[in-house]
Amino acid sequence: MSRPGLRWRVTLLFAAGALLLSTGLAFSTYQLTARHLLSERERTAVRAAYFDAATVRQGLSGDEADVVDVLRSLDTGQSRRPLLHRGGQWFARSADDGLTSAIPSALQSLVEGDKPAVQRVVIAGEPALVVGVPLARAGEDFYEVQSLVEVKDTLRTLSANLAAVAIAATLAAAALSRLISGRALRPLQDVVDAATQISKGDLTVRMRPSEDPDLIKLTQAFNTMVTEVSERIDRDQRFAADVSHELRSPLQTLTAASSVLLRRSAALDERSAIAARLVSEEAARFTVLVQGLLVLARAETRATLVSTDVADLVSRACQRTGVPLDLVEVGPGVTTWPLDASRIEQCLVNLMDNGRYHGGGVVAVTIALTADMLVFTVDDGGPGVPLDERTVIFDRFGRGRAAHSRSEGDGSGLGLALVTQHAAAHGGQINVLDRPGGGGRFQLTLPRVAPQ
Amino acid sequence: MEGHDGGVTELLLIEDDDRIRESLTLALEDEGYTVAGAATAEQGLSGFAERAADVVLVDLMLPGISGFDCIRELRKRSDVPIVVVSAREDTHDIVAALEAGADDYLVKPVAIKELTARVRALCRRIATPVGLTTLWTFDDLTINPGAGEVRLGGQEVGLTSTEFKLLCELAEHAGQVLSRGQLLKRVWGHEFGDERVVDVHVGRLRRKVEVDPGDPQHVLTLRGLGYKLR
Repeated sequence: MSRPGLRWRVTLLFAAGALLLSTGLAFSTYQLTARHLLSERERTAVRAAYFDAATVRQGLSGDEADVVDVLRSLDTGQSRRPLLHRGGQWFARSADDGLTSAIPSALQSLVEGDKPAVQRVVIAGEPALVVGVPLARAGEDFYEVQSLVEVKDTLRTLSANLAAVAIAATLAAAALSRLISGRALRPLQDVVDAATQISKGDLTVRMRPSEDPDLIKLTQAFNTMVTEVSERIDRDQRFAADVSHELRSPLQTLTAASSVLLRRSAALDERSAIAARLVSEEAARFTVLVQGLLVLARAETRATLVSTDVADLVSRACQRTGVPLDLVEVGPGVTTWPLDASRIEQCLVNLMDNGRYHGGGVVAVTIALTADMLVFTVDDGGPGVPLDERTVIFDRFGRGRAAHSRSEGDGSGLGLALVTQHAAAHGGQINVLDRPGGGGRFQLTLPRVAPQ
Repeated sequence: MEGHDGGVTELLLIEDDDRIRESLTLALEDEGYTVAGAATAEQGLSGFAERAADVVLVDLMLPGISGFDCIRELRKRSDVPIVVVSAREDTHDIVAALEAGADDYLVKPVAIKELTARVRALCRRIATPVGLTTLWTFDDLTINPGAGEVRLGGQEVGLTSTEFKLLCELAEHAGQVLSRGQLLKRVWGHEFGDERVVDVHVGRLRRKVEVDPGDPQHVLTLRGLGYKLR
């Protein structure tokens, strides 16, 4: 699993922190409130029980008084239920077996020992409070059972509310941190955007100078880096151009002089004639090499895209390489395409030359339109390109076995490298495949990019 | 119109690199040309004053007077075809040399066959039907290909041989669009070449045959297609 992004991690961290904090707060709030509510309720219950106990004592002072009537005369509301223990017998306002058995015996023995007591119990699954008050006469004890269902309900509502608040706080923190981290990371996004532009070949891109003291170093460092890189690229290109230029003058002498020799080769002895031919051929090859190097140095610059008639372009390349026009098949919908005509023409010429010299001849050239891509395919009738050579043939001076065995052709080792460069300058690519039925297949793919 | 009358074509080669001058002289002489060499623009200009060559080959990087100034100076004196043979191939240099008045531009190293083909194309005369005087008229512009004469509003216009050939090519196909490639092939004899040569020559031509070169009435550009004369 890949590591989540910085922004996600910041968000998660914030959310976790908020969750911890809000649940902690909610928990302690709940605890404090519950304790407070219960003790409040206990105090009330005890006060009420003493009051009721006094009423009962007074009611029972007459001998004929009916215990149940006295109990019934108490104003207890819904939540309090009085009980009287008199001479080992339980009295209540109504038959209520569960109630008497719920009075804990520990509490009972305390009260019987003339000590008032309070205890929390559970009756029929509901929480309740039992208050025991000894009456004046021995053997007479008053009990009151106070239901705590209300408190329980209140606490349940409270806990639900607190949980909701905790969740809301966590979500809010996550959202806020995402927003803030997004804003804090915007300079990084700017760097990404600028770097993307630069990798597409636009070396004029610079980051806007920041006023934020924390970011000023980043933008400065970035801009300095881009400037230095572009200067280095310029230097490299100028070096290639300078080298190429410096080589041109001696090559001119060599070319002219060797053509003089070649013209007289009939008058030379056999060995001299061979030497003259070799010098002449090598001068020609050297010339192609120097031109290729310069073109390659220039190919690294951006392509100038102009809407161009594709079929026209291919036929020009065919003319230059002597590939018969009837081998060309133009697919449906192929009309014009935004491209750098001279560069793509050079690509096609190089691909056709490659097929002619190293692939046993070009057998088909097709141009097709697929999913907003323009695909040039050059098929040859050779043995195809072995898998292990499919990368090296596109390198500078990288020749496959087929190219080593050649006896003619440019053989500069730059032809396919140049195609790669030009394709890249268009945002496209060059691939080598097997042609169904044998042979090599070179595919140049160009995406549609709006003309500048 | 310059040219040679069936005789040997005389070339003036202005090139400061001794070895290049020597080897090119040998190779061109082998091809049947007479070659006069000059190591500087000054030598070349005085040599040309003594004996006008049929075609001048000139390098751009010369000590003293530069190749560009040399071309301008030659242009003042003559409409001789000038071919630049230079190691420089920046667009800037090519256009500057052509604007200065050069007819063609070749980048070193140039094969002797290529060089002689260019020279031959520049020396070629306009083929005119024998015994017939053809006259092309476009409003105020009159072209007499047989006499090599161009008049704008009755005033004779001085064109170089290449400008004249370009104008005649356009006039012969008046109303039709000729692509840069077609013009390059027919006027300069290039199979594949630098189309900037055509553009610069059209610009030079307009300055001579248009009343307002900024708003051409005769030599029209059709974007992406080429040029036509009307």
